[in-house]
Amino acid sequence: MSRRSLIATILVTAVVTALVTVSTTRAVVGQGTRPARTADGKPNLSGVWQVNNEANWDLQTHGARAGAVTQHGVYPYAYADVPAAPVLALGAAAIVPGSLGVVQGDGQIPYTPAAAMKKAENAANWIDRDPELKCYLPGIPRATYMPYPFQIVQSSAKIQMIYTFSNAARTIHLDQVAGPPDDTWMGHSVGQWEGDTLVVDVTHFNDKTWLDRAGNFHSDALHVVERFTPMSPDALRYEVTIEDPNVFTKSWTIAMPIYRRLEPNIQLLDYPCIDFTEEFLYGHLRKQQLVKHWEGETMAVDITRKVPPGERLFEWYGK
Amino acid sequence: MRKRLLEVLAVVGMVVAVIVLLKVAPARSASTAQGLKTAWGDPDLQGIWTDDYQTPLQRAAKYASKAEFTDEERAELDRQRASILRRNQRVEVGTERDVAGAYNAVFQSIKHTGKRTSLVVDPPDGRIPPLTSEAKQRGDTDRQFRLALLQATETCKDGDAACAGGKYGARSPKYHELPPFYNTGRLNRSDGPEDRSMTERCMAAVLPDFTGYRRIVQAAGTVSIFYDVGQGQGWQRVITLDQVPHVASSVRQRFGDSRGHWEGNTLVVDVTNFSPKSDFMGARENLHLVERWTRVDAKTLDYTVTIEDPTTWTKPWTVKQEMNRQDEQANRIYYEPRCHEGNYGLPALLSGTRAEEAAFAAGKGPDPATKDSATDFGTEGGVDALTGGG
Repeated sequence: MSRRSLIATILVTAVVTALVTVSTTRAVVGQGTRPARTADGKPNLSGVWQVNNEANWDLQTHGARAGAVTQHGVYPYAYADVPAAPVLALGAAAIVPGSLGVVQGDGQIPYTPAAAMKKAENAANWIDRDPELKCYLPGIPRATYMPYPFQIVQSSAKIQMIYTFSNAARTIHLDQVAGPPDDTWMGHSVGQWEGDTLVVDVTHFNDKTWLDRAGNFHSDALHVVERFTPMSPDALRYEVTIEDPNVFTKSWTIAMPIYRRLEPNIQLLDYPCIDFTEEFLYGHLRKQQLVKHWEGETMAVDITRKVPPGERLFEWYGK
Repeated sequence: MRKRLLEVLAVVGMVVAVIVLLKVAPARSASTAQGLKTAWGDPDLQGIWTDDYQTPLQRAAKYASKAEFTDEERAELDRQRASILRRNQRVEVGTERDVAGAYNAVFQSIKHTGKRTSLVVDPPDGRIPPLTSEAKQRGDTDRQFRLALLQATETCKDGDAACAGGKYGARSPKYHELPPFYNTGRLNRSDGPEDRSMTERCMAAVLPDFTGYRRIVQAAGTVSIFYDVGQGQGWQRVITLDQVPHVASSVRQRFGDSRGHWEGNTLVVDVTNFSPKSDFMGARENLHLVERWTRVDAKTLDYTVTIEDPTTWTKPWTVKQEMNRQDEQANRIYYEPRCHEGNYGLPALLSGTRAEEAAFAAGKGPDPATKDSATDFGTEGGVDALTGGG
């Protein structure tokens, strides 16, 4: 072999070796980086995702509100309300952000008249009624757009979705498994691929979950059809059709993007809300109460916020 | 030129072949489960799994020199165990003890006797290694506190086994003290949720776990396991296969922090960052697990876990469990973990105790401290031949 051909051999070998090495070694990458397609040619949804919107506060278009719970201020107008005691001590952290809304079409939720009244009651009694505050399983679709990351583990016959909130999870059966004999909080999910869209049909719900913190609700006749469509490797369009003849006069649709969490070391962390809501749920049953103003089961929150020495407003300005 | 090109291609071909063989060969030679791979080439651990057989965690003293039962011995043990039907005996109807034993044999499934005499495979005697003196001290302190709270009850008056090491007498001053450690078991007191057990608070699940069912779903780079355990106290686990370090030690989680990697056909998982609120046989935040999950054949998934905590045991120990594949259709019934959502028991325990205190204060009832809400009398009434006798 001549010197030239030897050099050529070495060069070609090096290139081919590099290619083979790349193609047979699974690159060590974080959850934030994924090939766009799985081995079986489907869009690769595996990874950690999160919405970046205000849907969990209220699916519908709304302006910012002074607090998650408010009361009349000096004026009798809703727009001049002030934060109510349960959230007052949190200051600006308790403000509800405004939103363009995620309800498609005219932005209205087509409640029956009776259901519309119940929705308004729910909103007025948010703290007492929202199952989220009790750390109950969030249901579908709410689990998707709660403001915490969730993880998709996509296999060929099953897709597991794991939610930070309350360690909730569901299995999406791509293999057409028959439903359970009982109602559930998270529903029974059966999925199929329609081109590059994952379509999930969810049934077998109970009537206990809500759709947001604004009191939007459903009955046990809820039927949800979700569509997950890649917009790019790192964003999905999430479209949900909601149907429930007991509550709505017709089906309606919400839609929003879901974004991939791109931190290379992203992972779900424990969100132990069963533990952390015990005081909220059972504090009134303690022998010696920690929150002092329980009146029966009613929590009378009496906020005392002492300003620490040196932190009064004029002192802060002077620093 | 053409000859040279052929020479070049031949050399390149050989080099490539060697590289490919080197990369693929180790995995193939370790493979006993041909075809049990995912579409993307990882070992396939997926499905619903449980241990179909009953094997005690530790080997009973009477089987000290015996690692495995014969088929005849298993059949005989099955016969003896089926005849016991634990919890089917009722004590005096309407008493607290009767209510405590409400979960009778109808609620208890008895599995067939397994082949091995213990789940513990290391140490070879099938026994959990001795506790460290520090752990013994912790255990004694905890036990003394629990006994003090039982002191004024009928349980101690009657000399019940639950009061062993304690005494009967007036209500202990400890009745108004904090437990020495964050409580995870049943105390004979219901001042608040923290006095009740993790089971009553719907947080019973721990890792490692040798009960219940697992549903495993995999993707490239991730293995997820749903543990269906307890009564609706299931939980979801995600094992990251990325080679990134564990989360910071300031992050403490009920089920720790899992990092996995493949060694041939075996998923090896390192688990750290446990919480002081989670208790596995006395081990808490210092618990360290190394798990090995291996798909042996179409119907079997081997699970071994090495359990280490130098503040609890004098040396690490290892448990092995053979998990059996379960039918997807027969197990389709949803295993939603909704213990918390339906937990009427915990507020009832607390409000019941408040009512008893009010009645006692009004001179209309006994001191709640004289009643026992900590002892599970339901386990009385029979000895399992598999574990009994030491």
